Amino acid sequence: MIKNRILRRLIPAALMVSAVAVSRPAQAVNYQALVDADTKAFQSYFIKEFPEVKLADYANGVYALNEDSRRQWQEMEEFPPYELDIEAGKALFNKPFANGKSLASCFPDGGAVRGKYPYFDEKRKEVVTLEMAINECRVANGEQPWPGNKGDLAKVSAYMAYISRGQKVDVKVGSKAAYDAYLKGKAFFYGKRGQLNMSCSGCHMEYVGRNLRAEVVSPALGHTTHFPVFRSKWGEIGTLHRRYAGCNENIGAKPFPAQSEEYRNLEFFQTAMSNGLQYNGPASRK
Amino acid sequence: MKKVLSLLSLLVLMPSSPMLLAGPAESSPALIDQAEAARKEAAALGYEWRDTAKLIASAREALQNGNREESDKLASRALVQGREAVVQAKFMEKNWKMMIPAN
Repeated sequence: MIKNRILRRLIPAALMVSAVAVSRPAQAVNYQALVDADTKAFQSYFIKEFPEVKLADYANGVYALNEDSRRQWQEMEEFPPYELDIEAGKALFNKPFANGKSLASCFPDGGAVRGKYPYFDEKRKEVVTLEMAINECRVANGEQPWPGNKGDLAKVSAYMAYISRGQKVDVKVGSKAAYDAYLKGKAFFYGKRGQLNMSCSGCHMEYVGRNLRAEVVSPALGHTTHFPVFRSKWGEIGTLHRRYAGCNENIGAKPFPAQSEEYRNLEFFQTAMSNGLQYNGPASRK
Repeated sequence: MKKVLSLLSLLVLMPSSPMLLAGPAESSPALIDQAEAARKEAAALGYEWRDTAKLIASAREALQNGNREESDKLASRALVQGREAVVQAKFMEKNWKMMIPAN
């Protein structure tokens, strides 16, 4: 009897508490603020390590750090090895598909859209890169996607990067799904993997400026601004994902395919860390 | 802390870890199957190593050619790699944030 009386009093009180809890609006998480804080910490790391290097100069990769290498690179850039690739990319960009349309039909601003990629597509719930969008345009128009991470795909990407030079890196992370993709990229960047148990950050944060054999290790800050690149080692132009795969090979990890979810998320994270820098691709590298 | 974790991750991955070594009594096909299962588990976690599949393919080829001893050697190496990769994946899944360099 007493028990029932207590219950009769408690139940309405419990209902009131739960009603208040339900009606209280959920605290919205500001995912962009979380990313901005990461970006600030990431960039501060390099600013502290190399106080003499201007932030904007990180867009030039390792050449921001090493004066001798920079001089050689600047001489090479007078007659850039990727010049013909830009021309070929332009022709491919405007070349009509079988249906009469072209890549130019898919992209606004004549293709000067480098600064809009990568982005998180909220409908598809995935990161979309420039190279992915190029191939999706081809498929949507009845063409075969270009294979791999070099050749025609890299040439068109190089042309689009070239006409986008000066655009600001400004990756937006505006939802939980986008933040989840960003976190996956972040975990990839800092996680050690492969037979050598090494991470992206192990080399491109902690060993930046030191020598790996004859080469100076480049900073992760600014990595994504200047791709695709013409690498002397490759003897041709290649995409960022080709470089990712090469790094993974070097540390004894099985590389992921170009445009895999893993590499797109990594690109998404790494590009966000360069927010505020300018796109300056394509570029030449050793 | 990060250095301790890095060292720990390295120790965990040392090939001499007894828990990672294959049982000596396994026959070649069973050893290859175990190696392939470990490789698949590592791949599912996104941490497959570069040479594991190649070692398994070589072990299969050696077995087909009647070279049982060589097959066992290769399959054992593949099994160790597969298991180490799984340990690495699970360790990093929990501890990757500790690998962020101090600012």
